[in-house]
Order: sequence, then C-alpha cells, then structure tokens
Amino acid sequence: MEIRLGSILLGGILAAALLSGCSWFHRGEKAQNEVVVGDTDTDPSIIEPQVNRREVKTPKIKAKDFEVGAYFGALSIQDFGVNPLYGVRLAYHVSEDVFFEGFLARSKAGTTSLEDEFPDITVVSNAGRQFTYYDLDLGYNILPGEVFIGRGRAFNSQLYVTVGVGDVKFAETDQFALNFGLGERLLITDWLALHLDVRDHIFETSLTGRTKNVDNIEATLGLTTFF
Amino acid sequence: MRRLLAYVLLLQTLLVTVGFAAEHPLELIVTAPFLEMHSGPGRGYPVVFVVGRDETVTVLFSRTDWYKVRAARGQEGWARRADLASTLLPSGAPAPIPPYPVFASHRWEVGAGYGVYDRENLVTAYGDFSLTNSIDIEAVVEQALGTIDNRVIATIGLRHTFIPEWKWFSPTAGIGTGYQHIEDKEPPAPRQSDNQLAYVSLGARGFITRRFMWRADWRHYVVFNNLNVYEDLEEWKFGLAVFF
Repeated sequence: MEIRLGSILLGGILAAALLSGCSWFHRGEKAQNEVVVGDTDTDPSIIEPQVNRREVKTPKIKAKDFEVGAYFGALSIQDFGVNPLYGVRLAYHVSEDVFFEGFLARSKAGTTSLEDEFPDITVVSNAGRQFTYYDLDLGYNILPGEVFIGRGRAFNSQLYVTVGVGDVKFAETDQFALNFGLGERLLITDWLALHLDVRDHIFETSLTGRTKNVDNIEATLGLTTFF
Repeated sequence: MRRLLAYVLLLQTLLVTVGFAAEHPLELIVTAPFLEMHSGPGRGYPVVFVVGRDETVTVLFSRTDWYKVRAARGQEGWARRADLASTLLPSGAPAPIPPYPVFASHRWEVGAGYGVYDRENLVTAYGDFSLTNSIDIEAVVEQALGTIDNRVIATIGLRHTFIPEWKWFSPTAGIGTGYQHIEDKEPPAPRQSDNQLAYVSLGARGFITRRFMWRADWRHYVVFNNLNVYEDLEEWKFGLAVFF
C-alpha cells in the first residue's frame, strides 16, 4: 500500500517536471505572442487587428447582349401597292453567330388595280387596310466583317439571315405568316447600329378571289442601340 | 405606332444615359504571355493589338463571348472570353468572368417556337422558372392561326424533367391549366368563345450550346365548356430558348 502510494506520488512529481519542462521549451514563442495585446480580458495568444476591414467590391462587367430599335421603310403588300411601314425590334444575341429577334410593325395598304379601275368595288374596308404584323425570328450572322469608308474609317458589320413565324393582321383577320429575311447590321459605334433589311412575309389569303400564298416584301432602314 | 416609335427612341436615349452613368471600370492583369485584342466581337476579326504579361487592361463591357477592353495606353479591342478568364484582379484573385449557367441546374428560360394546335398553325412563346433541378413552372402564351378560327391560349403549369443530368436529350412531362379565347373567322360562330382548359404534356429538351437549348412538346388539352361534352385537342410544338 505504501509502495503504491509512493509510486503514485513519484509519478505525479515526474509528470509535473516533464510538463514544466515542455513549457520551458516553448516559452520563447509564447513570449512573442503575448507582447501585442493590451487587453487582459481576451486570450493573450490571439492578435486583435486594430484595422477596420475594407469592403472590396469587384465591379461587375456589363453585358450588352440586347438590341432595341426602330425601323421604317416600304412594304409591298401583294395586290395592294407599296406603302410606308414603321416598326420596332428587339433582339437578344446568344452567341457571336446566333440571335433571337422580335418585330412589331404597321403599314396601311393602298388600293388594288381592280378598285382603281372600278371605284365602286371595295375589296377591303378602310379599317381593314391596316396591315400589322409581329414576328419571332431566329437570326444567324453569316458574313461578319468590316466595311471601310475612305482610308481611315472601319466599321464592323454583319450580314445576317433570319427565319421566323408570326402573325399578320390584314383585312381585319389574323393570318399565320412565315418570314424570311436578309439584313446588314453596320455598327456605327459599339452601342449604335444601322440596319438595312429585306424581309418577306408569306401568308395564305383569298382576298382577291382565289386562295393563294402572297409575298409581302419589305425593305427597311433601322437604327438600334445595344444595352 | 408613331407614339410607340417615340417611346422606343426615348427608351434608347435613357438606356444610353444610364449606361454611361453606371460605368465602373474593372481592371485586370494579364498573366498569359500575351492577350490578343481583336477589332470586333467575332472569331474572324483581325488582331489589332497585343497586351503583354503583367500589363493591365480595363474591361468596358461584354457582348456574347467577347469583352471590350482598353489597354493602359488607350488602345481598345475585343478579347475572347476564354483568354480573359486567365487574367487576375490586382488583388491576385481570379478575374470575375461570370461562368456559363449550368444547363442541368439553370433557373430561368425564355423561348419561342412553332407548332400545330388542332391542325392550326401555332406561334408560341414561353417563360420557365425552375423550382428544383427537375421541376419547373412553365408559363406559355400562344396564338393558333387557322382557316376557321384564331385562338389565343395562355397556360401555366408544372413540368418534370426526368433526368436533368442528361444534357442532349432529356424527357419531360407536365400538367397545367389555362384559358383560351376564340376569334371566329368562318361561320358558324363558336357557342362559347372563352373557355378554361387543362392539359397534360410529354416532351423533351436538350442543350445546344452555351446558353442555348431546344424543347419539343406534345400536349393533350381538355377544353371545358357548357355543352356537356368536353372538347379534346392536341398540340405539337418545337421551340428554341435561352437559359440563365
């Protein structure tokens, strides 16, 4: 019993000596840590930075993939003459090749040759002469390039084709219309573009007697901005 | 129409003004041996300037996969997205080029397409919001244009994508409800021109490139009316969309 008590005591003394020895080995490092902090309430081994953290905001890069604009030109309504056309357009550029585009435009039809010859005949009422269309198109930039004016000026440009579906409201009825277009986008600056477009709206009608597909070709000039 | 034109022109001026007011240039340091600056935002445009390693460029804005940058001495050009992604911020952090949305877990989708609705030509536009990777809320506005009548259909529904991880082709199924308005073209006029309807759908979707995708859908509609006989209609459509 006495021997066991003695060995426990001896063990305790040895352990205490070893632990204090360990602390002796590390005391230099500890001393370095203790210097900085004046506040005695906190753990002396942690450095409290006295500098206020500055919020670093990385500026976001603005994506300018949308294009909005207006256009005007001439629309040849088959059998109803060539008439002025006004429209608006909105495009989203998916990649350097592909874009989606929507159009909304209005024109007013003239008279047919039959109406000109026989003024008593009315093919379409006056209200029905409004020609309104919307299109949803897929476009592809087939020939991107640069155009030059003189020696010192170059403008980026893209020749593109579009194909789409939409609605034409003419003679007070809505018809399904397919459309095919070819256009040139000339970038005057990075955010301003000039458009030259030729587009055909094809739909089925029986306004002039027999049912047939009519081609309504427009040639327009437009201005758009990228945002 | 002229008033609309005036509004668009006004909007354009406003957008340009706002665009200039909110400009915060981002500066990046080139880490590759050089960074090529092209004359336009496309693969074919010639390289007009080269910025060397450790030099700074200012990023002005982006268009599709191209970034308009300005070199330290003011030269401007278009840098390819992949090239700019290897640059660093002055702090040493990687350039904040936003990653492409992951197709399997994208949030938003906007698209348009063509279809056939009960033998009528259909023009369709839709928006889609993902609740989870496999369940979406889908809102559709479409116009069916036929010889007997024209219809405007608006629907909202839920769609399940069976295997969203399948990139090129993944089957979908959905249910939903909506509303249909009929404009008569040929007599006899429909007894009821406004109906509620419900649908079930089967379809598929797939990735095309970057943020571009396709969707195909078949829908079976049940049109509720007061004739005691429900009208059954079928619809096929194909659309292209962008996702965010």
